[in-house]
Amino acid sequence: MCYKVTWYQFTEHPDSDSCWSLSVGPDGRIYAAACAETVPGGIVKVVRYNAESGVLDYILDVDKAVDDPGDSGRATQCKIHYSFAPSLSDGMLYMATHLSGPPIDEPAYSPWRSWHDPKRCFRGSGLLAFDTKTDEVLWWDTLIPKEGCRCLLHDEERGLLYALSYPRDHFIIYEIKKRRRRDIGRIGSVNAQVLFLDSRHRVWTTNDYGHLVRYDPEKDRLETSPCVLPHNSAFQTGWHSVFYDAVASPHEECIYAVNWIADARLMRIWPTEGEWGRVEDLGPLSQKRDPSVPISTFIDHVGGLVFAGDGQLYYVASRWRDPVYNPLPGGHKEREGIVWRMDPHTLEREEVAVLERPDGFANYVSRGAVDCNGDLFFGHVGQKPVGLFKIDMPADRKKKNAHLPLRMWG
Amino acid sequence: MTSSDDKKAVIDEIVHGTFVKEGVMVAFPLCFPGATTPITAAESHITALDATADGVVYGGTSGRLTHVFVGMFNGVTGIVFDMGTVEGADHCAAICCGQEYFVACVNGPGGGRILRHKLQPLPFDLIQEWAFSRQPFEDLGEAGKCERIVHAVTDLSRRFVIGTTDTHLFRVDLESGQVEVMCELLGAGRLGVGSKGGTFGLDEGNHLWRCNATTGAVMRKDVKLPPGSWDNVSLIWARDRVDGTLYTADAEGNLFAFTEERGFSKCLGRTRLAPVGPMAATFDGRVFGTCGEEISRLFCYDTDAHELTDIGVAVSVIERRRYGYVFGDAVTGRDGQVFFGEDDDLGHLWLYFPRIKPRRN
Repeated sequence: MCYKVTWYQFTEHPDSDSCWSLSVGPDGRIYAAACAETVPGGIVKVVRYNAESGVLDYILDVDKAVDDPGDSGRATQCKIHYSFAPSLSDGMLYMATHLSGPPIDEPAYSPWRSWHDPKRCFRGSGLLAFDTKTDEVLWWDTLIPKEGCRCLLHDEERGLLYALSYPRDHFIIYEIKKRRRRDIGRIGSVNAQVLFLDSRHRVWTTNDYGHLVRYDPEKDRLETSPCVLPHNSAFQTGWHSVFYDAVASPHEECIYAVNWIADARLMRIWPTEGEWGRVEDLGPLSQKRDPSVPISTFIDHVGGLVFAGDGQLYYVASRWRDPVYNPLPGGHKEREGIVWRMDPHTLEREEVAVLERPDGFANYVSRGAVDCNGDLFFGHVGQKPVGLFKIDMPADRKKKNAHLPLRMWG
Repeated sequence: MTSSDDKKAVIDEIVHGTFVKEGVMVAFPLCFPGATTPITAAESHITALDATADGVVYGGTSGRLTHVFVGMFNGVTGIVFDMGTVEGADHCAAICCGQEYFVACVNGPGGGRILRHKLQPLPFDLIQEWAFSRQPFEDLGEAGKCERIVHAVTDLSRRFVIGTTDTHLFRVDLESGQVEVMCELLGAGRLGVGSKGGTFGLDEGNHLWRCNATTGAVMRKDVKLPPGSWDNVSLIWARDRVDGTLYTADAEGNLFAFTEERGFSKCLGRTRLAPVGPMAATFDGRVFGTCGEEISRLFCYDTDAHELTDIGVAVSVIERRRYGYVFGDAVTGRDGQVFFGEDDDLGHLWLYFPRIKPRRN
């Protein structure tokens, strides 16, 4: 079966070079971050897919919203990186900004280099409370001074936001009512790209060496698991096997996750079983290749994990021309993004779509989400201006309010 | 050069030129890699280091618990061995190595304690086969009732340890294990051992006190500090073990040298950031240290060139890939390499191999 794919380019933000965040809001609509991280002075705009008119609405210039314009001379409010976190009870969508966009008159930005430079240093991750009912920013705060927010999670019952900082990789807790931040400490050097929450309000992520890291509110500290997550033992050690994306099963108390490294593997984690949960290795998701060459992070990539209304797990894995392992015919694109559909019980998988953009490759997908109408959306990172893909779910696999239960992390 | 080459060069400088600009740093985990688990992240803030005469490094951590460890990197070794935790302690103020024993000066909610342990013998071949066991520490007691220990150092004979608590000066006989409170004195900052063997610490009124470790004599306000910003400074020292020169810095990062023969030098230069953190001198007289908070930077003071230079942010790319942000202590190793103890979650022991200086014509 081949699903219909539609490409929506961020044409009103021509500098946008990455869409790191794409999430469903508490209103069941799709929100995406049009980020500009490679452009001096670049800023992020928030867009929303308008299902009625079938266009993208540009709803927020984040630099203006947090009073930190792109021409400040500092590193800019250039992106929202896996940091949309909805709030179902009040219709709020929390979002936190990230760094890396250079100051307007510099070609690059290093947060290490400019940490002590008041003229250049990133002001800090801006946390915005965006009311999806009125399209207003009700308030904003600095979530993490001088640092960016790599990923964000909302524990709605407890009124807490959790974040990982960049570059120092600290675990941050933010009490929404008191607007108070606590720094729980450093995890490592390689940011994990996602946090997830279990039914005991414990927050999970990973460290540099592929171990699970867990914050338990009862103990108020970070703990590290003794075991290393699945990796390709032929040439990997577990280093850099940090989580890239994680999605909760809508029907069972388990999480499906992929790691952020070549030969990304799918794993299923049952966080409440045993002391450190149970981790199942469901195998690699991308194609074979020559492991004697360190492949580009932007070629060998898997992301966009999302459960659709048919109860199946969808994700996007890149596929690329390889003279030995994938000798594509002449005229075929060098790289492409394949939308896979996996049965979580049998683990059988099928290709359901190839992501196509007319002007470039579409192999790199950051995040996926399903809207209240049951259609799939994927955020894209690539040639600017970037955009997002809409995948029309076939009628027999489509379900209203398929976005529920809401994903509470970016 | 084309403009794109120029741009690439600028970007390379921003990205790579930020980090260790001369020499090499290697972060070593607090374990025997492949054989043991590292010290738990929240218990691995290295706040104290010392080395024996033959270059074996001992350290102590702070955090949820205090661990005492030994690091061996010469011969067929390559290990940080966790010698154990200290019950009731969450801070290690000092590690002091003698000839046969070392002591760990630790603090906890109940105050400071001094623990003694025999030096760790060299193991057998750590590539092939080995045997280790943990031996208990000998608790030598408090250095003042319920008082926290501020710092301590071993004297040049490696027989005595001189240390301070919040309000007292104390001495430990490493051979007998006897702890003696010598006098009342407000402990502040770290202690240094001068060129003639005197122990120095911050005294009132911008002065240093001096203590003779052998006789126990204490001279209050013995040396006046040079003009500088000394209020609220957390005094730190590096000692050139070749000529005995001590180096210290004021709160603004102004660096000074001190010898017992000549007193303080004029200001040698100012570090890029303040405050100055741990530092150590290598055998050719260069002093390497850290400065700045949160993400510190390394600096070098070259005694020959009389230059103080910034050498970037610590990074390890050999085996362990890690950024280094905060360091708690530094000590010089057997061959002049400098060990920096990382005062951070999942702290590592960092080995810094300075750049070899070019031959002079």
